[in-house]
Amino acid sequence: MIFDRPSSVELLKAVSFFLDEKIKKEVPPHLAFKLRIVENVLKIVCREIEQGDALSEEVINDLKKLINSDIASLEDLANLIKEQKIDLEDQDLQNILVKLSKNKIAVDNPNYSTYKKLLD
Amino acid sequence: MSQDLEKVLSQKLSEESIAGEIFDLEPLTGGASKEIWKFELKTKAQTEKYILRRGSGIEGPLAIKTSDEAKIQKIVKSLGASVPEIVSVSSLEEPLGDAYIMKFVEGESIARKILRDDEYKNALKNLAFECGESIAKIHQADISEFPFLPRKSVSDQINDLYNTYVSFNQHSPVFEYTYLWLKEQSFGEINDSLVHGDFRLGNIIVSQMGLESIIDWELAHIGNPLQDLGWICGNSWRFGNTDKVVGGFGNIEDLLDGYNSISEYKVDTKTVRAWQVFGTFRWGVICLIQASAHLTGSVNSVEKAAIGRRVSETEIDIVDLLFLGGK
Repeated sequence: MIFDRPSSVELLKAVSFFLDEKIKKEVPPHLAFKLRIVENVLKIVCREIEQGDALSEEVINDLKKLINSDIASLEDLANLIKEQKIDLEDQDLQNILVKLSKNKIAVDNPNYSTYKKLLD
Repeated sequence: MSQDLEKVLSQKLSEESIAGEIFDLEPLTGGASKEIWKFELKTKAQTEKYILRRGSGIEGPLAIKTSDEAKIQKIVKSLGASVPEIVSVSSLEEPLGDAYIMKFVEGESIARKILRDDEYKNALKNLAFECGESIAKIHQADISEFPFLPRKSVSDQINDLYNTYVSFNQHSPVFEYTYLWLKEQSFGEINDSLVHGDFRLGNIIVSQMGLESIIDWELAHIGNPLQDLGWICGNSWRFGNTDKVVGGFGNIEDLLDGYNSISEYKVDTKTVRAWQVFGTFRWGVICLIQASAHLTGSVNSVEKAAIGRRVSETEIDIVDLLFLGGK
């Protein structure tokens, strides 16, 4: 990267801090609710920048093994299921669907109850 | 904006022979798709609180007109279901738009407050039973009174949801799997009835005494009524209390006991589970629909944009239910 610090994540975290410390107490209740959504969105973006590549790669690697190919995408997996080219009871298939779902929620909402339950 | 609204509101109320001075008109945090305003009306005799619920006039693929919600509430109220009293209904062509005005019901609708605050602790004990009872009352309405509502069979709904998902061209292997799974399930042999379509915390008003009112009828339709029982059991509506299967506050036995205090139809838990997966898939597709309203540029809303990233909540709930022994 040719860019100076703060990094993209550091910039986003500065904005989050500003919203949380300075703006939150100034806004009326119906906007406070929206502000919380805005803060969550910034956190999603931070997590995706920080962990997104590794989380995606993990799923794609499993998928490559499953379909025995050097390239693979979510579209390939979706089509495999849709066209029923794989047994729906296949353990490796189900494992990939679980990993995919876990890795997506790890960025979108790691506090989600089902994700936390499955981590325990 | 709120001054203009005050003017059209007062005009509409005077058409209903309700004259008075409007004050404290304020927007409430509502669903992502409707405006909700609270106001007080001072008449010679008294001051009363009201709620205005207003749609955009653009119906989503699942939602009905706001004025039709009011029609349903009027009918089910006459059957003894707990719903707010409608005082005025406005059609899209009128200055107020597609909207209705109802009496304010004291209590709380925000799920996290109901689940967290001490004052509702007692109410929560019996709430699953009360919900079952209320859902059964809704299901007893005579469907011939609702010619304006769409009739939706389970298989049509599954196909519609799937086709909607496909239309967004965003590949979800979990949704592909879910679609095939749902097509193989049995959803219970039962006569069609009025279905609320979104019965859960957030859409009911709860006081310290218990369930006070059922609100937000925008997903109502005619179809297999057991959908309402599965919907409230989805993890999406447990608000973090994942071990309390019914709405984050109760257990399924109490919900079904409440249902059977009114209805003779015996529901087995396997059927409820099929509806639970259906409901989770449905909520996932609704999230896609909401996000697409932002993505296609028809509205610019950070709220709707953020909902796009809640699809993954429904995916993990589905894999938990299908593969990992989730309840």
